[in-house]
Amino acid sequence: MPIRHLALNVEPLRPATSTERQTLFRALINSAIGVGAFLLTCIGLHAVLPFPQIDGVSQKLRFFAAHKDEFDTLFIGSSRIYFQISPAIFDGVIRESGSPMRSFNFGIGGMHLPESAYVLEQVLNTKPRNLRWVFIELGELQTKWPHEAAGSRRALYWHDWRRTSLILRKVLGAGTHMVWLPNLKKVRDIILPRKSGLETRDLFIFHMAELEKNFANVATGSDILDYFSRRDINKDSAKYLGAAGDGYVPMTNKGMSANQTATYEHALALVMAQNGWRSISPYTMEACRQCAQKIRGIGAVPIFLITPSTTRFNVTHLDNARPPGVVMAFNDPRVYPNLYRSSVRLDEDHLTKEGAEEFTRIMAANFMHLVQAGEIK
Amino acid sequence: MSFVEFRFLWFFLIVFGVYWSMRENAARKIWLLFCSYIFYAAWNWKFTFLLLGSTTVDYIVGRMLARHKEHAWRRTWIIVSVCANLGVLGLFKYYNFFVSSASGFLAWLGLPASVSTLNIILPVGISFYTFHSMSYTIDVYRGRQRAISNFADLALFISFFPPLVAGPIVRAITFLPQLVSARKFADVDVRGAVLLFLSGFIKKACIADGVAPIADRYFAHPANFTPRSAWIGVLFYAIQIYCDFSGYTDMAIASARLLGYQLPNNFRFPYFAQNVSDFWRRWHISLSSWLRDYLYIPIGGNRGPRWFVYRNIMITMLLGGLWHGAAWTFVIWGALHGIALLVHREWTRLTDGLEWATRAMRWLAWPITVYAVCVAWIFFRAHDLSRAGTILKQFVLFRGGGSEHLHRWLLFVIVALAFVHWLNSRRWFAEPWRNWPAPVFAAAYGCTAALVLLFVPPSYTPFIYFQF
Repeated sequence: MPIRHLALNVEPLRPATSTERQTLFRALINSAIGVGAFLLTCIGLHAVLPFPQIDGVSQKLRFFAAHKDEFDTLFIGSSRIYFQISPAIFDGVIRESGSPMRSFNFGIGGMHLPESAYVLEQVLNTKPRNLRWVFIELGELQTKWPHEAAGSRRALYWHDWRRTSLILRKVLGAGTHMVWLPNLKKVRDIILPRKSGLETRDLFIFHMAELEKNFANVATGSDILDYFSRRDINKDSAKYLGAAGDGYVPMTNKGMSANQTATYEHALALVMAQNGWRSISPYTMEACRQCAQKIRGIGAVPIFLITPSTTRFNVTHLDNARPPGVVMAFNDPRVYPNLYRSSVRLDEDHLTKEGAEEFTRIMAANFMHLVQAGEIK
Repeated sequence: MSFVEFRFLWFFLIVFGVYWSMRENAARKIWLLFCSYIFYAAWNWKFTFLLLGSTTVDYIVGRMLARHKEHAWRRTWIIVSVCANLGVLGLFKYYNFFVSSASGFLAWLGLPASVSTLNIILPVGISFYTFHSMSYTIDVYRGRQRAISNFADLALFISFFPPLVAGPIVRAITFLPQLVSARKFADVDVRGAVLLFLSGFIKKACIADGVAPIADRYFAHPANFTPRSAWIGVLFYAIQIYCDFSGYTDMAIASARLLGYQLPNNFRFPYFAQNVSDFWRRWHISLSSWLRDYLYIPIGGNRGPRWFVYRNIMITMLLGGLWHGAAWTFVIWGALHGIALLVHREWTRLTDGLEWATRAMRWLAWPITVYAVCVAWIFFRAHDLSRAGTILKQFVLFRGGGSEHLHRWLLFVIVALAFVHWLNSRRWFAEPWRNWPAPVFAAAYGCTAALVLLFVPPSYTPFIYFQF
């Protein structure tokens, strides 16, 4: 390259010629056509693509859709539902009091709000005609995932606008109104993050990316093949889906080791010593309200369930913002000491098979009591 | 921020929109400089000071070289620049490697020494921008490039975001002249650029990230797998690294082109090379030509006796291997390529004019080249020398390994990808798009992009060359 070309460092202002303006204008129009085609294709694909193959969720959803009119009760939530509520025992207790019932356990390991709200919506979209009661596990709206799960399809498929907007409102401290503006302090944390604000920025970027990826149907190509080949990702779970389990998987009866027991007892003692009640956030309440609205939309009754767990001892509702439905709480060891014996615990959150059966019986009895008292209609 | 992330799309749209809406070239350059630093700061803002420091040193050296005509002074200043650049590279990239290697060697001699390593992270793209920067001062020293007076221009050349973190390695003499006059949007081949970007995106996000889990699975525990699986694992890695790196390069070149700048080509279907020399004229061209012009030729190049030339080749390839990473596996990778180049030279010399050799090589040259390149990839990818040895035994001798195996149908995936690659080399995919009317092209491009995303994995995998 001749050196003389490099000598210039100051350039005269070059007015845009009409040709260049035309080129830019044409480029703008063509870009709009390209973006429009992209958006329309994404929307079209979203409409025709089958429900994504999500381990555990897809199998249960397919099974439920095929047998939707056989069930009148549904339990939905995390492993605390999945491994701890036996539909067979629940139905048995209710039948003893003269009411026929068949329930389905739609618990999935690690499925908390807002994912559970999305799955619930998919379940309700199948239009189950006989569904009367829907139990939803009540826990704080989840915004963070373990690193290994954050990049999975499991973290992606439920990121629609309704769910993502609720998470973003929580992350940005924007309140629960439909029309919202982020808290300015949080905006500063995103643009100029300090150490304390890094999490806000990371969460904002993560959830925005998941929303965009979900809109653009990222990683759904394999679903087409899976759908037509009817391939089940996890065949093992299929055996829990028939009448034998109705979605329930019992845990082992082998309890905790001596060390684990000591740690558990210590944690329980600490929890028992606490008197204050920690409130559920208004964002969780909003998610519950949305769930309840959907459930009532098909003529069923929402019931919020707090499972026996020491880590959730303080979780309760706000007095001034009650959940939109009956809350059945089992998180007080003083009220349900049998569910907190170390012999029936696997850890602070989970019960053994024996403990789960006991919990199901107590919960069914409480439920019948509330129905008979007219608190649940 | 990476080219395959959605946030890059938003970032680039803002950069692109504001850039072309500005009319003054100086303002455009400042805008690009600002955006390039933002792009780099997205990884770690603290390292922007390192980038700025490197630029400042080379700017001062450039000015000093322009001021002093005496050879001794000029020599002193170029040594300052080379030492500063290589010093930073050495500190961040090689210090721990050399210290721990020296400690291991002393222990082997029976002289155990207690050494302390630095707890530092490698600044992303340091190997690339150091070479960008050094090309400037060396060319000013050689008189091939005029020392630049505008600091912002030099800063933009070194930090220009498309090639900043993983190349291609840009030289001052090819980039700085492009900063002199304002780019015209009418001169931009938008269609070619967006097609190149999509092609790079498909290579990286669909193919490289798609085959990566198979290669990762094999290379994590090679001893568990059968020799056939070793072939699948190594071939999958060969596909992954090509698609990953050339995908990045395509997207970098396309992004630069959309802003009106030309970057050098970095790949020319390297797996179709007929010998290792040919491979290096097709693989990471910007690095191989940089090493040729700034290392191989200065230490003697092809001049002098044969063994002297062979020494030069080996030095260049060993340092080329070390440039990729601070580990012995990379040094061995470079050495293997050096040996392959020597073997090829000797073969060419010995069989010159022999008809049978020419006829045999017509059929054998390509498979031998691909095989040699794949053997070298084993060292490039292996976690350590012990695992590299296991893989080598499986791949070369068909011996060793366990009973676990990768699916046989993966071989068909390799054949299918090779066929698509061959079609691409014949321009089957790019050419038809060129003739469509612009609105039809735009609509088809939008639809294709939406369809491509179906086959992208849910999580983003960093580019392999980011670690270099």
